[in-house]
Amino acid sequence: MSTDLSTNLRNIWRRRSGYRDSLYRFLSRRRVLAAITILPALLLFTFITLGPILWAIAAGFYEIPVFSPQWEFVFLDNYAELLAQETFWVSVWRSVLFAGGSTTLQLVAGIGIALLVNRSFKFSNVVQAIVILPYMIPTAVLGFIALWMGNAQWGVINEVLLSVGLLDQPFSWFGNHSTAMIAVILTSSWKFTIFVTIMVLARLQSIPENHYEAARVAGANTFQVFKDITLPNLKSVIFIVLLLRGVWMFNKFDIVYILTGGGPGDATRLAPIYAYELGFGLTRLGMAAAMSTLLFVFLAGVAVVYFRVLEPAKEVRTE
Amino acid sequence: MSSPPSVVDKQSLASRIGYRRVRRLKKLALWGTVALVLTVVLVPILWMLHTSIRPQDQIFTEQLQLIPETISLVHYRTLLFETDFLTFYKNSLLVAGGVVGLTVLLSTLGGYGLARIDFPFKRRFARLVLFGYMFPAILLSIPMFIIWNEINLTNNLVGLVLAETALSLPFSLWLMWQFFQTVPQTLEESARINGATRFEAFKDISLPMAKPGMIAVALFSYAVSWNEYTIPKVLMSDRELWPLTVGLFTLSEGQRVFWGQIMAASILIVLPAFVFVFFLRQYLLEGFRTTGV
Repeated sequence: MSTDLSTNLRNIWRRRSGYRDSLYRFLSRRRVLAAITILPALLLFTFITLGPILWAIAAGFYEIPVFSPQWEFVFLDNYAELLAQETFWVSVWRSVLFAGGSTTLQLVAGIGIALLVNRSFKFSNVVQAIVILPYMIPTAVLGFIALWMGNAQWGVINEVLLSVGLLDQPFSWFGNHSTAMIAVILTSSWKFTIFVTIMVLARLQSIPENHYEAARVAGANTFQVFKDITLPNLKSVIFIVLLLRGVWMFNKFDIVYILTGGGPGDATRLAPIYAYELGFGLTRLGMAAAMSTLLFVFLAGVAVVYFRVLEPAKEVRTE
Repeated sequence: MSSPPSVVDKQSLASRIGYRRVRRLKKLALWGTVALVLTVVLVPILWMLHTSIRPQDQIFTEQLQLIPETISLVHYRTLLFETDFLTFYKNSLLVAGGVVGLTVLLSTLGGYGLARIDFPFKRRFARLVLFGYMFPAILLSIPMFIIWNEINLTNNLVGLVLAETALSLPFSLWLMWQFFQTVPQTLEESARINGATRFEAFKDISLPMAKPGMIAVALFSYAVSWNEYTIPKVLMSDRELWPLTVGLFTLSEGQRVFWGQIMAASILIVLPAFVFVFFLRQYLLEGFRTTGV
């Protein structure tokens, strides 16, 4: 009985592994393997990214009433109207300022923090874990924390500044024309600096220890080691982080919208916020689409120039 | 060989004030910087906790109270039993699960395919993925709103998962692609010489080695979906289906903002992320290590 069972099991196993073998052989064909690996990502990418982008590019040539399916073809009218608007240009300029300011801050602070926590000292592991936390804080939560701490009447920042005498009366950091942009840049950088830190830290940890030892043996001091070993190793990651953060900050909508809604007045009305207002506030979807296309073309242009001039050639190495 | 000037400076500095003192100064500078960084990182998080455990009348006080006098869990209780917080929490968990699953699956498969299989237009595809970043998410959400509306995916958690995957997929795909390039192809070749099929070589050799990359992608896509505010705000008008980030705004009514509850909610929202970071940090770093190589 037991031998029967074991023979049966063995037979079943043999037959199954036969099926499995042929299945594996089938899956190993080049075309099949390509189809199951690349195709799903390609299809989804087409549906959820490329599709909407192409749609937006097309929609930019139409006047789109929100509640009627009838689109009216207006060709370049949306573009002409946008380019003639001062509001448009001012919002783009503000986005450049916001992206430039926050990216610079994030790069400098992010690299600095990465260099700091990469050193081994007592509790450096705990410090490393704590430093990564801000990246995991949702933007909406960050917005509320910043609004609460910066609150004119009850905010702790004002309380502290008043009690140490740096301020004689409460100040509304997000509600003041002159400080709103800086407050928004500082708030968003608190979180996104950590993205730079994570990327740089990951790269730092992959530099072989013997490079440092060799440099030390050759008599290099701390600064020389940094300049000749650390910095060249970080170059490529700095390039890619600069591009990604620059683009992501230029397109940033949520944190600014939550903090100021584009105000006070129009002090923080960045390009994406203006496009959102066009699309959902003024219900001019065609205009909003035209504007997103313009911003896209602008960023793509910057990216192309960036790759041509700086040639971080291996950015998308295909072997 | 003349020694560089700064070395001389350091030596003379050390000889003037003594090596021990130099070491102590260096240590002081290090700890000073660490303390500064930790303050900037931790104060907002601690203040969130601080506000969440103070009773209402002590939140609105103009007297600076750094150490809370009384600790009260009243905001947590109200939040859990008298608001829709748990519904939002459930939605966020479902969406995050979907986004993480879909992103990890597709970027792992796709990354492998891109790294190992030659096919026409591969380079073009790579550029295309990267240029996918250039399109503002808020503006991606406008066409998504219209398209999803046509195919009944607005006010639908599956539709939200798909939309948010658009944000996490390009970077993840690119990361896994880079990651598989660091897995030596010779290992797969030797497995195949030993009789493994190509698929088995992928499944049994490359896939296990890509684990850190997959965990990094999982963390990244979790962060994206758990954090995302814009896309659910545009796509989901049905309050029952809101994730936490959008639902958080129900805790204010016009000018009245329930700061205690909002901060309590924030604490509960960030808690799982903190746990992940604490335990998976090394994988995260290892996974990101190959980017920009």
